[in-house]
Amino acid sequence: MTLSVENGCFSYRRGRPILRNIHFSVGPGDIAAILGPNGAGKTTLLRCAMGFLPWSRGRSCLDGTDIRSIPHRRLWQNIAYVPQAKNTALPSYTVEQMILLGRSSRIALLAKPGGKDLEKAGEVMEKLGITRLKDKKCSELSGGELQMTLIARALVSQPKVLILDEPESNLDFKNQLLVLEAMSALAAEGMSCVFNTHYPAHALQRANKALLLGSRGGPVFGETHSIVTEKNIELAFGVRAVIGELETPERVLPDVVPLCLSGGEAPEPGGGTGREGPRLAAVTILAGEKRAAEEAGRILRGCRDFTVGRMDLPCPGRRVTAESVVLDAPENTIRELLYRLNRLPGISVKAVFQPNEKRTENSCKE
Amino acid sequence: MKQTDSLGGLSWRDRAVLIVLPVLAVFVTLAIGRMGLSPLEVLKTVGNRISGHAAADPRADAVVFSIRMPRILLALLVGAGLSVAGCAFQSLFSNPLATPDTLGVASGASFGAALALLLGFNLIGVQVLAFACGVAAVFLAWLSGSGRGGINTIILAGIMIGSLFSALVSLVKFTADTESQLPAITYWLMGSLNSAGYSSLALGAPPILAGILILYLLRWRMNLLPLPEDDARATGTNLRLLRALTVICATGITASCVSMCGQVGWVGLLVPHICRMKFGSNHMALVPASIFAGSAFMVIVDTVARSATSAEIPVSILTALVGAPFFIVLMRRTEGWQL
Repeated sequence: MTLSVENGCFSYRRGRPILRNIHFSVGPGDIAAILGPNGAGKTTLLRCAMGFLPWSRGRSCLDGTDIRSIPHRRLWQNIAYVPQAKNTALPSYTVEQMILLGRSSRIALLAKPGGKDLEKAGEVMEKLGITRLKDKKCSELSGGELQMTLIARALVSQPKVLILDEPESNLDFKNQLLVLEAMSALAAEGMSCVFNTHYPAHALQRANKALLLGSRGGPVFGETHSIVTEKNIELAFGVRAVIGELETPERVLPDVVPLCLSGGEAPEPGGGTGREGPRLAAVTILAGEKRAAEEAGRILRGCRDFTVGRMDLPCPGRRVTAESVVLDAPENTIRELLYRLNRLPGISVKAVFQPNEKRTENSCKE
Repeated sequence: MKQTDSLGGLSWRDRAVLIVLPVLAVFVTLAIGRMGLSPLEVLKTVGNRISGHAAADPRADAVVFSIRMPRILLALLVGAGLSVAGCAFQSLFSNPLATPDTLGVASGASFGAALALLLGFNLIGVQVLAFACGVAAVFLAWLSGSGRGGINTIILAGIMIGSLFSALVSLVKFTADTESQLPAITYWLMGSLNSAGYSSLALGAPPILAGILILYLLRWRMNLLPLPEDDARATGTNLRLLRALTVICATGITASCVSMCGQVGWVGLLVPHICRMKFGSNHMALVPASIFAGSAFMVIVDTVARSATSAEIPVSILTALVGAPFFIVLMRRTEGWQL
């Protein structure tokens, strides 16, 4: 299902507008990251998108239907919300009881959960690996455990769209990874995900779409790699940052390192990313899973127009598919392709770009 | 404490205890009073009634069925009703200090009763006007408090409406005849179950029973009430409907209780908290536990009130005297209060 916001504007009564001209949409398999400095209205945006707050202009749609015209119960069978895990004053329900509350949209008002609901709760706990917490009290959970419980509570209603409010905030390294991995896995199964985050790196690594709030040029939405750029980060956060690449044996991961507060002269809004020129690149792909290999093949067939050559390399005796592709396209297009490939589970992808004659901003760091 | 079902309902042992407790209390208290009856005589009298035989001892029959039984039935209803209403309000407002009176229902009902006494209505008239004014007070509070402000605005509105009606009660007292009306009003306000009769029960019991039944059926859904508002709404529950139902039930119950026996304080605060400490805050266990524990508690306290001394002690005084120390002991022995 596709959740979209069209021209969303919001202001509190008699207040200055908080959100203006918000456009975004997430379809099946998409992960959209909403970025912005504190106070830019990220949580407000989610609350408006779900109908908890009324848009003062514009609307939210689910598959093109205004959510205000969808009955409450039906709406919440299709979308689900994971609030920020705050440990304050939680009732002392067990994890399983808490998760079952997520079935409310599928249970009659005066009824209580039955065998099917319990079964579903069990499945979700199994999937997220929190079955061991089943009988633990929510008030005794750690931050990471609570966040996973809240995700389970959202999933138990079998939604098609998942909305997460800063799911990885206040969590340690490992728990951040657990939560983000869970989200990526859900998207790979066709869930549409939207999440608020404070980490541009998480947006770059996980999301294929990004919405940046707080920028002087108004909110911008699009493919992550064209939105989360050094220039846009400086515009929105007032921080000079470097987007670098972390190379592991398997793949190249984008990362964002903040350098310093930007000085008085902020860059002009708009303009390109400096990656419009055509370049030659050789991409090597090792797919460990059959599904990933097929999906990669499908994506590559989609860019036949700028494929210079493509080679399947059989590796007898190993369950790995190896491929090598040489592309001739604008760097942006190639990076977008790399993004899509990188998001597939069980895949290693790396690209080597042709040496650049003009020593641009980007090539300095490579 | 061990819970057998995964929804958090009561274990069979707790269920048995909670059902036996009020039944036992009824049989024991039927025997207690100015005319001493042994439990055996009570059993015989009740048995004769049920089997349709002529009463062996007409005097015992009259005492048990005309005097004690309606009063005990009233105590059962009021105890169960006020406890479950208090429990509902505490969860609804996520506030440990919420009582059935938080939205001003008792003040409203008191005003209705005082007015009716001033105007010289009979007992049934007093009951009807008290009920109507209690419901009206909550309606006013809900009307003035609901809007964008959220649940806390409603509490504030309730407190305001409550003090408004308290002032009106004072006004009625001020204008009342000091010889006959003022004492009647004052005694009524202290709360007593001695006006219990089958006709007043027939009028007052249906709202209480209906309210208890609906809250009992809603008990799983009530677990959403203490959650943050967005969380609760995101589960696909019509939160406004759930809150309105809870308020309507709790108000109907409380207004009806107050209209029959005046302001019985403390029960709606103490019993739910005691149950929370003992059974946790899952409403699957909490609602039935509050109903049964509240009814047993009220029957016992009222029996002490009517038979401890030759003059009857107002029941509000006793609920506080018995309940508060018990509450403190339990609070210190368990981990303390939690929602």
